[in-house]
Formats: sequence, structure tokens, C-alpha cells
Amino acid sequence: MEISCPVCKKIAQWKDNVSRPFCSERCKLTDLGRWAEGAYALPTDEIIEEEQAENEN
Amino acid sequence: MSTEKELPEKKTDNYDAGKIKILEGLEGVRKRPAMYIGSTGLEGLHHLVYEVVDNSVDEAMAGYCNDIGVIIHIDQSITVIDDGRGIPTDLHPTKKISAAEVALTYLHAGGKFDNETYKVSGGLHGVGISVVNALSEWLELEIKQAGIVYQQRYEYGKPCGPLSVTGKTKKRGTKIRFKADTGIFNEVIYSYDRLSERLRELAFLNRGLNITIEEEQGEKKQLLAYEGGIVSFVEMLNENKSPLHKPIYVEREKNTVMLELAMQYNDSFTEHIFSFANNINTREGGTHLAGLKGALTRTCNAYGLANKILKTGESLSGDDVREGLTAVISVKIPEPQFEGQTKTKLGNSEVKGIVEAAVNNALAEYFEEHPAVAKRIIEKAINASRARDAARKARELIRRKSILDGGTLPGKLADCSQKDPALSEIYLVEGDSAGGSAKQGRDRRFQAILPLKGKILNVERARFDKMISSEEIRILITALGTGIGSEDFNIDKTRYHRIIIMTDADVDGAHIRTLLLTFFYRQMAALIEKGYIYIAQPPLFRVKKGKKERYVKDEASMQDHLIGLAGDEMSLTLRPEETKAGGARFKSLLKKLIAYEAIIQHFSRKGIDDELLRGITQTAHLDKELLRDRDALNRLFEKVTAEWRDLHPTDTITFDIAQDEEHASLQVNCHLQKHGAYLDFQFDEALIGSPEFKELKKLSPLNIGLGEEPYQLTDGEGEHEYHTAAEIIEHVLKRAKKGLSIQRYKGLGEMNPDQLWETTMDPEKRTLLKVTLENAYETDEIFSVLMGDAVEPRRKFIEDHASDVKNLDI
Repeated sequence: MEISCPVCKKIAQWKDNVSRPFCSERCKLTDLGRWAEGAYALPTDEIIEEEQAENEN
Repeated sequence: MSTEKELPEKKTDNYDAGKIKILEGLEGVRKRPAMYIGSTGLEGLHHLVYEVVDNSVDEAMAGYCNDIGVIIHIDQSITVIDDGRGIPTDLHPTKKISAAEVALTYLHAGGKFDNETYKVSGGLHGVGISVVNALSEWLELEIKQAGIVYQQRYEYGKPCGPLSVTGKTKKRGTKIRFKADTGIFNEVIYSYDRLSERLRELAFLNRGLNITIEEEQGEKKQLLAYEGGIVSFVEMLNENKSPLHKPIYVEREKNTVMLELAMQYNDSFTEHIFSFANNINTREGGTHLAGLKGALTRTCNAYGLANKILKTGESLSGDDVREGLTAVISVKIPEPQFEGQTKTKLGNSEVKGIVEAAVNNALAEYFEEHPAVAKRIIEKAINASRARDAARKARELIRRKSILDGGTLPGKLADCSQKDPALSEIYLVEGDSAGGSAKQGRDRRFQAILPLKGKILNVERARFDKMISSEEIRILITALGTGIGSEDFNIDKTRYHRIIIMTDADVDGAHIRTLLLTFFYRQMAALIEKGYIYIAQPPLFRVKKGKKERYVKDEASMQDHLIGLAGDEMSLTLRPEETKAGGARFKSLLKKLIAYEAIIQHFSRKGIDDELLRGITQTAHLDKELLRDRDALNRLFEKVTAEWRDLHPTDTITFDIAQDEEHASLQVNCHLQKHGAYLDFQFDEALIGSPEFKELKKLSPLNIGLGEEPYQLTDGEGEHEYHTAAEIIEHVLKRAKKGLSIQRYKGLGEMNPDQLWETTMDPEKRTLLKVTLENAYETDEIFSVLMGDAVEPRRKFIEDHASDVKNLDI
């Protein structure tokens, strides 16, 4: 199976690839680093009240 | 091709027996061959050839030789022939035998120990050709020098007779043919590829040198000659990569050190630097490489700062600036010192400074002249630096985790008592309140609960993002017990073989699920491959009728349930039979009507009036054929527009029939004004031929047997008449809901622990969705779109989810 590396978008192989789904260990580590620094966030719309609630706490 | 030729206009110099110094005898070479050539395996065997070739290359480096030939003979003997000056043939001053014989029979004898003969010399660290002789069954030497041909034969290192004159010639050079001793080497079979690889290297390193390699057995032969020298070498190394610029070439000579450097960046992340000293591949690097690295880092930083590509305070490391670099550095120096385990590390300390200064100047000059290239190189290094930064944070995460690894599980985790992973499961629950219910509702013997909370970020004014904090990620990893990162991650340490994501059916829940699935897919793919990841299916509705209650998982099931209830007491009249269809038939008819209405809505969103569409599908025969019959088409539209006008006496509708040139057919253009709004649309071949339209005709009330409207529906209260499918559906759902109390769960937290257990966690009753690689891959793609810079897909995601929620309100 061919996949596109989530970090650099290069084509990578799934099979026999220890870094799957990434093309390289470097990209895998980059991704883990982004999780570690909280760089991944999804847009949301129904947050305002929660935000306020948090502020009140 | 012969490598011998007429004496060319080469330098002539006095290379005679006086220059051959005797350092040591040959004893012991045959006894301990590995000490001299490394091994008696293939490596050592091939070394013999390099040893002889290196002598010829020395001649070339000194400027006396252009062509070198290497032949692998059928009997696995080797010929090396050059057009150099020929080994000195006169009598050696102290040994009283020919200098050539001294070179072949005395260890460490040779011109290369005297810097006058060869200012620069490679060779296998001066082991010398005598070692080759000592380790050969036989060796034949032929020297052409000053018009005379000399020959001598050796067996097992010993001369069979003195060097003797055999004839005259106009050519010059040395030819050595030898057969490695099969009593010493495990196997005497040469590899053409291996030899040509090293010879190619030599050809690259000595621009203008022609090396021919030939294998008699395989009839293989090639000329290795590179006018571009090490620039060609770099180009070859980058052959299948995408280079960022043309190779940069630097050539300098200073204090008897000759330096050549060729470098070119490609778009990969790997560094390929080959360093050579006197043609020897210095695999362990050394002072020349250190000089190059120092200069690169310095120049890139200096240029980057001066030209504001780098921000003040930002700096690039050596690793950053070397990422994606392919380079060949070659130095030639009079007295190379080789150090290290394999004697392939250049030790001459003076070389570092010379190389560093030369590369600094040359590179700074190049950058000034090629600002665009300089910018690309430095931007690439900045990217590398950022990636390294991310990797550092990743490692910190891993390290902090291993501190906690000593058996301490996160405090938030309510673990199960079962210790066998195959029998244990963990629920990853969104939010603390739901986590609380789950903790109370679970079967603690085998079910663990880990509440996870999304973190809200205020990205911009009025825009919020949701993420999982690094702390939550760390807790998750610790709870699962697998470790993280390619080196550390171990699927066998998974503490649970069922990892169940349980989130609300709203936007927030979708976020957490998307984030978790993406994380698992990217960093713990093996869990998905093993089928350990599941998604819980909490119900969306609770339906109560009297004392009976039941949970319904989603809108589609809810509709099913309601239709089922309705079928018990309702029926639709079939025509022309005038029979009443109830029960299962009623249910099937209603499902078709629902599908029909969904397609009507689909077209309506595309700007086609729904009522006109209903009218047309009820007449049933609008197809591609009809689009070619103007009269019939006219009759059909006259009829349906007339009916439409009856329904909307105050609105207007007109149509005209035009030629559809593209499909050689007709198209009907409709213009209507409804509730004050104007609407124009066409019925053409593209629409009529579409699968949706065909499906629509198939599902129309007429086609499924309900006849023409008004349609007749019978329920407990009697007979009703409806004009459209939408009206029937509305009535049926409304009637079915009578007497029911329906609760829609907005979140898991609204369920009490018992309900949560009963509906979602009890293995006897629950349904779990097993996450497949395909699911995860799709999630990752969505995630990637959302992570991208494009604003539009992000907005669409929110809208889609918002409308999902709306649709679910029944």
C-alpha cells in the first residue's frame, strides 16, 4: 500500500516500513514533537460557554 | 584498448634506484597476511588490486601517467598496466639488485616514503606492492623504460631470476600480472562491480585520468574517465534526487595542501559527505572533514544573519546546515597521517585550518554571487532546525514518560483488576462527567476508564480550536503501557487488547475522536493493525412507551424504529388494485418514499423546483428518448406546468424547448417565479441521464404502486389523503411518535451509570466498531485537511458537523 507521509506528503510504503505511515523516522519524530508541543488542534464552534466556564473556575 | 602508448609530452624526472629506500624485509607477510591487508577474505583479496593500482595512481598524481588498465583474467589473475615512468630498473645502491626487485621483495620499500619522488601519495598506507607479491602464487612484472623492455617473474614472493631485458620499445609504463595465492585466500574470485566501484572513485578523484576495467570472463569492459572530476561524482550521487542548485566547486592550494570540494544540496533529509585524503576514502573523517563542517556552519549562519534570512538570535547547527547535502571533499597532502580503528581518519591537524579558511572564503563568495541559491540552502537548514526542535520535544515527552514508567500509573486512570491484557479493556472517555458515570457503571474486573479532556485554545478572536494537551497524550501513553517512538514502542506491552474510544455524538466528541484516531494511526499504527482500537456506540435516543424503554443508536435507526411502530397500525393503498399494504410492505414502501424525498431535496438544493420535479416523476416517462421528441416533450411540460399553476395560482411558470447541441437532443428551459423569487433551470440530457434522476423515477410514488395523487393512507383514525411523499412521511412519523417519550442524549454525561453500562459498555449488549486501517487513514486525511492552512475546508468541517447535529433533532 502506498501512502502519503502525513508530515512531508512524500509517497511512502506501508509494508516493511518501521516509520509507517511516515516516509522516515525523521518525519515520525517531527509529528510526535507536534503532539508533544500541542501543535495539533481542530476548529470548533460550540466552545464559548465552556471557555467561559473555564475562566470562571 | 591498450594503455601503453608512445611516449607523450609528459614530465620526465629522475626516478631511479637511489630513491627507493629499504625499510624492512618481507618476513611474516605470508604468515600473518591479515596484519597487512586486513583480511584473507574478499576484502583483502580486492585490496591486492587496489595496492597495485594505487602505485599507478601515484604516478598519475605526480603527472606522469594518464591511462591505467585493470583486467580480471579468466584464471582470476589480475593485470594492472599503466603508462607511467615504469618502476626504476637500475641497481639499488645498497641491495645490489634491481630497484624494481627491491620494491617487490622488501616490505615498506617504495618511492612513496620519500616526499621528493611523490609529493603526494596514496597507497594502502604504504604497505606496498611487495605484499601483493608475497601473497601471490606468481607475479609477472614488465617495465618499459627508456626504450627497453624488462621482465621478471616471481613465485610466492621469490624471484625466479633477475630482472632481464627482453626487447626494445617506444612505449613506457609498468605492467603487473599476478595470481593471488589460493592457499592464503579463502576464495580467489574478483567482483567486477566491487573493483569498478573503487576504480570509479579514483577516476572521479583524479580528473583527467582514464581507467579501464575489463573482465575477460563476462566480456565486460568500461572506461572510467570523468572530465568533471568530483563534480561528476557529486552529480552521480545526486542522480535520483532533486538537487536544489548546480554543484558548487571549490579548488584551492595552500601550504602544499591541495583541496577540492564539490557540493550540492538536494531536497532529501540525508547527508552524504565523502571525504578523501590522497585518494583514500577516509570513512572515519578527520581534520579535512572537520574543517569543511566548521566552515559550512559558520558561513551559513553569517550569511543568513547578514541577509535577514535568519532572525537575530536564531542560529543553525551543523546538523541543520548539512541536511540534504551531498559533498565530496578531497585533499592531497605530502605526509598524510591516518588514525582511527580502520586507519581511515585523517589526523594532520594543520589541514583543518587550511580547509576551513578556504571553504569559508569560497562559500561566502559563492553565496554573494548566487543569493537565490544561498537563500534556498539556508531556508532548508531552518526547516531542518525546526524539525530537530520538534524531535527534541518528542524526546522530552518520551523521557518524562520513562520516569513515570516505574510502575506508576496516572492518577486519572481507574484501572481494572484483570492483569491479562487479552482480557482487559480500556475506555477512553471524553470529559470528566462522562468519565465519572463510566467509572461507576463499568465492570471493574476487566474494564479500565481513562477520562480525557480536550483543551480549548483561543486561536483568534471568535475562533477556537480544540486540542489534546501533551500532558493528556503522556497520560494516555502511560496508561496503555506501550511506550512511544520507534525505539521504545512495544505492542507486546499493551495493557489492554481493547482500547475503546467513547465520545459524545457532537462536534466536540468528533474532535476528540479524530485527534485520538489520528494519534493512534500515526504513532501507534500497530495497535490498529492488530485490531485493538474500537469506537463505542452510545445511543443517541432513549425511547419510552409506557414502561418499556429502548435505546436507539442514531437517526437512521430511530426512523426505522418509528416506521416499524407505524406499520403495526397503518397501511397505504396500492393502485390500481386498491389493496391496502400494511406491516412489512408498508415499511418497505415508506423507506422508498423517504429515499425518494431525499433525492428530491438533493435536486432542490441544486436549484430545481421540487414540486415540478414531483410532477414530472409522477408522469414517469421523461427519459433520453423523449428529449428527442419535441411534440411529446411539449405535451409533458404543458401538463406538469398546468398542474403546477393549479397549486400556485399566484405564481408563474413558463418553459421553452431548445436545441441541446452538445448531445444532439433537446433541452427544456424552465423559468418560474415562486413566492417572489425567480428560478431558472434546465432539464437536459445530463440531468435526465444521471443516476440520481433514474433512481428518483424508480422510487416515485407512481412507480412503487401508489398510483396518482392524492395518495391514500389508512390509520387507526380512518383514511387520509396526501398529495406528496413528504406529507405522508411527516404524518407517519408524527403519528408513530404519539405516546412515546423520546429523549435525545446530548452527551454521555446525561446517562446515568446504569444506562451507560447497559447501552454502551455491557459486552453482552453493546456494539463496538472496530477501527480498520482504512478508517484510520481516512481520518488522518480529514485531519490533514483541517491542519492545513486552507480556511475553507476548516469552515466546511464545522458546518457539516453543525448540520449533523441539526438533522439529529427529531
